[in-house]
Amino acid sequence: MAEFTLKEIKSLEYVRPEIEKGYTDHSLHVDLSSKEVKINAIEPKVKEKFIGGKGYDLWFMWNSVSGKTKWNDPENAICIASGPLGGTPGYPGGGKSIVTTISPLTGIPIDSNVGGYFGPYTKFSGFDVLQITGKSDAQIVVLIDGIDSKIKLYEAEGLTDDSYTLSAQLTDYFDKEKPVNISVVSTGSAAKHTELGCLNFTWFDAKRKRVRYKQAGRGGIGTVFAHKNIKAVVARWGSVSMKSNNPADFDAMKNVTKLHAGEINELDPKQNRMALVGTTHLVPIMNDHDCLPVNNFKYGQHPEAHNIGEAVYEHIFDKGFDGCWRGCAVACAHGVKDFVPFTGPYKGQKVFVDGPEYETVAGCGSNLGVFDPFFILEMNFYCDTYGLDTISIGTGIAFVMECFEMGLITKEHTGGMDLSFGNRLNALELLHQMVRGEGFGMIVGKGIRKMKAIFAKDFGADAAIMQDIGMESKGLEFSEYMTKESLAQQGGYGMALKGPQHDEAWLIFLDMVHNFMPTFENKAEALHWFPMFRTWFGLCGLCKLPWNDIVPEDNRQNPEPAKVVKHVGWYADFFSSITGRKVSPDDLIPMSEAVYNFQRLFNLKMGYGTREFDTLPYRAVGPVTVDEYLSRIERYDKDLTENYKVDITGMEIAQKVAVLRKHREARYEQLKDAVYKRRGWTSNGIPTVETVKRLGIDFPDVMELLKANGVE
Amino acid sequence: MITVDEKKMEWHQGITIRELLDMLENTQFCAAVRLNGKLVSSPSFDTTKIPDNAVIYILPLIAGG
Ligand code: SF4
Repeated sequence: MAEFTLKEIKSLEYVRPEIEKGYTDHSLHVDLSSKEVKINAIEPKVKEKFIGGKGYDLWFMWNSVSGKTKWNDPENAICIASGPLGGTPGYPGGGKSIVTTISPLTGIPIDSNVGGYFGPYTKFSGFDVLQITGKSDAQIVVLIDGIDSKIKLYEAEGLTDDSYTLSAQLTDYFDKEKPVNISVVSTGSAAKHTELGCLNFTWFDAKRKRVRYKQAGRGGIGTVFAHKNIKAVVARWGSVSMKSNNPADFDAMKNVTKLHAGEINELDPKQNRMALVGTTHLVPIMNDHDCLPVNNFKYGQHPEAHNIGEAVYEHIFDKGFDGCWRGCAVACAHGVKDFVPFTGPYKGQKVFVDGPEYETVAGCGSNLGVFDPFFILEMNFYCDTYGLDTISIGTGIAFVMECFEMGLITKEHTGGMDLSFGNRLNALELLHQMVRGEGFGMIVGKGIRKMKAIFAKDFGADAAIMQDIGMESKGLEFSEYMTKESLAQQGGYGMALKGPQHDEAWLIFLDMVHNFMPTFENKAEALHWFPMFRTWFGLCGLCKLPWNDIVPEDNRQNPEPAKVVKHVGWYADFFSSITGRKVSPDDLIPMSEAVYNFQRLFNLKMGYGTREFDTLPYRAVGPVTVDEYLSRIERYDKDLTENYKVDITGMEIAQKVAVLRKHREARYEQLKDAVYKRRGWTSNGIPTVETVKRLGIDFPDVMELLKANGVE
Repeated sequence: MITVDEKKMEWHQGITIRELLDMLENTQFCAAVRLNGKLVSSPSFDTTKIPDNAVIYILPLIAGG
């Protein structure tokens, strides 16, 4: 192991704020430029309105940045918070952290909900939210030591850039005796050369005696982290119990925890078996329903997809408990022991791979035309180690491969590499180039939006076709679901605040398979309720998977099974029992609505947040090319004749493609109208004065912003 | 005899998953079942025949990532 030194340059001893009903009511601010460390009380009105987690992150960011702030300006903040319910051992999904920053890809706030112990440990150390601003000259390690009540800054020398080794080294360094007391946040060596950097959040797996990882993947947060010259942020905390949050009603909390965990223990083995296969059960199901992205979202199915689904990974995953939070009964954070990479710096060595999850399998597998489970493991491993987002990497390389196959780019541009679909070695080589800061990988690392501009300007590629097949919206790469046949999910991606990530709304099956929301108004209602409810998890420090991936046995008797109302009731009870703020299920949506609308206004403040930015590449809406149309000709012909009443007799395929496009694009615009109306926004997608007043977010600067955008 | 969500049911030669679901209540949101440990998705419900003594679990509404 390489030698490294950590030179202490700042130490602040503090009196640890006690936790009261899930909150410490204090925030921690670290300015890397001045090396100032401050602890502030959080005002009750901020708590009332923003709840915690993502709500706190956004509030502190809002006050740190101006509308002109770019991702690499020192005032851009990285905020990390759990939430009032975060850190409850045994409650399924009860220990998440939410990270936000201004994204290098989108220029607006990005948020990422991540496992590992960092958020809860930071809270137990005294802080509901951590805000890091500024930029350090030297490489910095920040330590939040709740055991010794000290915040320390260190200048680091000789520490590896490689997240896999770095986290293990720092865990060992800061608590050799009790590594379980440590959680490390770091990025990897590719984050500084790309805009796709992720953060790795760790926990120590006591059974396997090793550091494990979960990623705050989306939007280039790792790139901001690396740019600020942060090597790692480390939280140190000791014992955690059900009393750690000092809940208002301990018995009620214990009761609801028991109910939810008990149900999962009983039903997961009968339902999705996530404790065995994680989210890889989705691979065959998506494939069977023509929703698995294949070859840059061109197709939704492939005969070899079974090679990368649950039936294979069940046997590859290392057996044992895999909760990314203590006692999470879902325990879906699986990994693979003794994997031996066949390329790169770890070639020939045994490593542990944390993952893959569905998104990585689909993004770095089927979407690249590769159906080799071990290749996916290698992509997964190097993305984590190098600090890269597997989703943006998968979707980005898929775009490059289609450009290559279409002849929009050639070997002349790729440094001699054949980047046809299925080329495993060259896909991996792109990652290694991103770490070395060289070659075509550096261009791929800029993300699809910038690639499109470079390919058009420097390589003379056709901008219009790249606009259609480049799967990004707002600058963020799509996550891994095919949306062509689900208008509601097109809305779920196109109108998602941060860009096309499915954590806001996942409506494909309700819409496409079950035709549960036939009208625009039905879809708009779903695109109100689901994003709001899903936002709530991020306010409270929770994982959404236990809500609807394991459901009560009688759930299907409910007229709206997708809402899993029994669990919504449990979440209301859980919130009441910890915070003492009595809420009913109906109160949860308005809580989220305030934060959701505030984030939309934040986009507006940054120069976005209006209708023109809620756009989609046509590949997300319908068939771009003639062969794509031909591959599902019956479906598209039927759509034209039955839904749009078009007489297709004698029409050439190219003409059908064009007519279908006109109709489908118009339909998406109609959906936007319906959704904006339901959300209380203007037809330009801006929250109205009435909406912000109703939600109590009519702060003077919000009203000024609205006025400046013609909303009075 | 087959077992569906841990309840015994009569079996007859040639019964498909679709026919089974049609006999049960509130299965309109079923997009996948587990038949003897293997996933079967809705596009194959009409053509997948259930063998005698099969163990079937009706999976909940697919919730995505
Ligand atoms: S459900 Fe899975 S991802 Fe969510 S907290 Fe539990 S182990 Fe982590």
